[in-house]
Amino acid sequence: MSVKHVLTTCPYCGTGCNFFLQVADGRLVGVVPCKTDEISLGRLCIKGYNAHAFVQHPDRLKHPMIREGGQLRRVTWEQAMDRIVKEITRIRDKYGPDSIAVLASAKCTNEENYLFQKLARAAIGTNNVDHCARLCHASTVSGLLFSFGSGAMTNTIPEFDNAECILITGSNTLEAHPMIGARMLRALDKGAKIIVVDPRETPLSRISHLSLHQRPGTDISWINGMIKIIIDEGLVNEEFVKQRTTAFDELKEVVKDYTAEKVQATTGIPKEKLVEAARLYARTDKAMIAYAMGITQHSNGTNLVKAMANLAMVTGHIGRESTGLNPLRGQCNVQGACDAGGLPNLFPGYQRVDDPESKAKFEKAWGKQLPGSPGLTLTCAMKEAMAGKVKAMIIFGENVMISDPDLGHLEEAIEELEFLAVADIFPSETVQKANVVLPAACYAEKEGTFTSTDRAIRLLRKAVDPPGEARPDWVIACDMGKRLGSSGFDFSSPAEVMDEMASLTPQYAGIDFGRIDKQVLRWPCPTKEHQGTKILHTQKFTKGLGVFAPVHHAPPMEEPSEDYPFILTTGRNLFQYHTGTMTRRSPKLEREAPEPYVEINKSDAKRLGIKDGERVAVSSKRGSITLKARVTDRIILGSIFIPFHYAEAAANRLTNAALDPIAHIPELKVCAAKVAKA
Amino acid sequence: MAKIAFDERGADHLLLMREEHGNVAPALISKGEDVGDVRLDVPYQLITILETVYSWVPKGKIAVITRRCDEKALAELTKRGYVDEKRMVNIGLACSKEQVAMCRCSDPVPSKVDLGEPNKPAPIDELSEKLARMTPDERLQFWVKQFRKCNKCFACTHNCPVCFCDDCVLEERTFVAEQSIPPGLSFHMIRSYHLIDKCIECGECERSCPAEIPLLTLRKMLARDMKKAYGFVPGDPKTVSPLNTTLEGEQMEEECDEC
Repeated sequence: MSVKHVLTTCPYCGTGCNFFLQVADGRLVGVVPCKTDEISLGRLCIKGYNAHAFVQHPDRLKHPMIREGGQLRRVTWEQAMDRIVKEITRIRDKYGPDSIAVLASAKCTNEENYLFQKLARAAIGTNNVDHCARLCHASTVSGLLFSFGSGAMTNTIPEFDNAECILITGSNTLEAHPMIGARMLRALDKGAKIIVVDPRETPLSRISHLSLHQRPGTDISWINGMIKIIIDEGLVNEEFVKQRTTAFDELKEVVKDYTAEKVQATTGIPKEKLVEAARLYARTDKAMIAYAMGITQHSNGTNLVKAMANLAMVTGHIGRESTGLNPLRGQCNVQGACDAGGLPNLFPGYQRVDDPESKAKFEKAWGKQLPGSPGLTLTCAMKEAMAGKVKAMIIFGENVMISDPDLGHLEEAIEELEFLAVADIFPSETVQKANVVLPAACYAEKEGTFTSTDRAIRLLRKAVDPPGEARPDWVIACDMGKRLGSSGFDFSSPAEVMDEMASLTPQYAGIDFGRIDKQVLRWPCPTKEHQGTKILHTQKFTKGLGVFAPVHHAPPMEEPSEDYPFILTTGRNLFQYHTGTMTRRSPKLEREAPEPYVEINKSDAKRLGIKDGERVAVSSKRGSITLKARVTDRIILGSIFIPFHYAEAAANRLTNAALDPIAHIPELKVCAAKVAKA
Repeated sequence: MAKIAFDERGADHLLLMREEHGNVAPALISKGEDVGDVRLDVPYQLITILETVYSWVPKGKIAVITRRCDEKALAELTKRGYVDEKRMVNIGLACSKEQVAMCRCSDPVPSKVDLGEPNKPAPIDELSEKLARMTPDERLQFWVKQFRKCNKCFACTHNCPVCFCDDCVLEERTFVAEQSIPPGLSFHMIRSYHLIDKCIECGECERSCPAEIPLLTLRKMLARDMKKAYGFVPGDPKTVSPLNTTLEGEQMEEECDEC
């Protein structure tokens, strides 16, 4: 008899809740919340309570496979790795290293992501390494690097408890980050004023003080409108603006045309509500902003993030406790995958690949000549694959065949590749396209760290063995690096990998497994004695002075037309997670949200003769899907919402791959669509 | 602790809380193993944990740190045959003053105190009193406001020591629609009424509720009704719930162990 309670970190959203996995004789039998965990406070959401359910599912990939004659056939690790190395070497020799792209993973650990980018840069010789942050917060990274010098949450999760005003936009916090939502509820119970700006009613907006519904794709208009009201009513934090920021005059010039009347015409937000929200946010001392995909997933996402930064700086609501601008990261380790350098233009710690000093530093550490210009982003790599310039991809734990925009074209691009290797835990839609499939260990089967949305570095502890011959991704990456003839892949544990990463990443210099085993440390943590940093930009911004960016509203790339009269917006629900590979194999979660649906406003539905529960076809210029209509007054007129979890009616068949010019994030939140009875 | 469990009471295993990784963790250890730094100040619901791991411990006696409410929960389990009474060893923990206050607990001292100092029960649950003074409409509004915060995590059932049906009525679509958040009032009413003759007021539902809905107060109000209507209080190994009877007045057998 062996019964263990293994403390580890949740594999779902970026909140970073810790809990115990209950293990009995090698079986995962349950989840127990950790009462002393300072993030979760001994509470979990429904996904957390079911985080054990998919781990030992019979569908897990257990053996390496190679595609032959269209069929995947079981092979040995030796054969699979030989094939990968042979193909990667052949393609590199024939087309050059930049014909290969590596996709790192926000579901893998910091150590693994560090190895993935090292594999791309040092072993293959390309900066073509990216991951799904491109689809979620790429614009946060680019926007906040410009405004503040650091693209992460400025404050910490526990601080929501004591906020007096919380402005939430583009985040369905209670469903997508339930335990952060719970903190907001606590603030609400203590009397905080909650303002939600969202095209949909969300569980949080329904109990908020102020709920504003904007038309999707009009956010800069209402943000600039709020800033104008704040300036006109003398609510600017003059001292903060003078001492801590620059370029305020340019901002003033830009926002002066955004009158509340004009904003109402553009966004649909009644002007009185906008004025009330602006006053409330500006006048409250402890006012926090939280935002997510509703801000970032636009073809002007970088500008949108800069506009949010303007709003925080104009009021001086930054650099103090329970204030700040707080992007909520949606994957367990999307913050860490960015920190660890899983980005085509940045080494670990946001050091630029085209900065000669940084390049020299990494060349010295890794003993290799490194490419000096930024590589391809995920979204561009797909376009280049279509154009025949990218010939091979190695994908670690991403299901691009559901998660990426405009799946019809993406599928063609993937099929254009000469070679695709995929490491994953389940036979995902992307695995179905692979030439070589590698079975990977999941979060419960390995050690390593995740960095949560508030920069806390949290340990994974191994609870059970991986199924069959599955291996942790860090072992796979090391093996691949060595077989490709590169030195620097001789690691015997994730702790050793972290030691190397910490030595090259200033924000992580004080991090080691021994320290984080017992305490919560948040980066920047520059030395072994440093206790980590809760609040960023307290004395000065990371880049010195905060920079106001004069940004204007621009319409989305695709607006409703006669043929496609609706605005389609996409997102998550509480019970499913991303492409559903894990949650749809968790019976209690699948029970709650078993099938795809489109939310449509009651009046729109009535006009089209569509009844609740009826099947409808939703189409855009790029594709069509059939699913159930959910007739509701929880979405504004003229807009429809589809969760993107469901392969059988993949919302991303419809979405637009139009990109933000700086961050290359696709406009997943707005495209034109039509609805008809199926 | 090891001495009481293994030497004095002849247990083979011990379920306790101890310090691990800078946190307090539940742990099931066997005779001869080091107990580590035992912690009694963090109220893990060990009986719920016991229920999950019980079938994986095929042999021997299991000692558990039991508060008074845990004793009562065990009584409800053994009555129904979920746990074999002969295999259980209770190590009685008297709750601290702070814990008694937090639970507004009216019965805080275990039948045998092995750990901690006995404290007086809390006089009243203030919120219950306040609610009792409200008009029905005010009371309803209070609960509506609370239940609107519910995010359907199922913590109140997941962590409950006396919530042990194989098929949960709250996961049955006839009663609770899928996907609805917040779930309707009936979700909470079904749960509380289903537990009306079992709940031993350990407060774990309230402690683990992310929305901090005062579920223990809801329980205390229903417990008062149950006592008034039937003179029944759960947690006594010798009594049987009055609701567990047939219309002929005989006790139900076989039909539904769970109810």
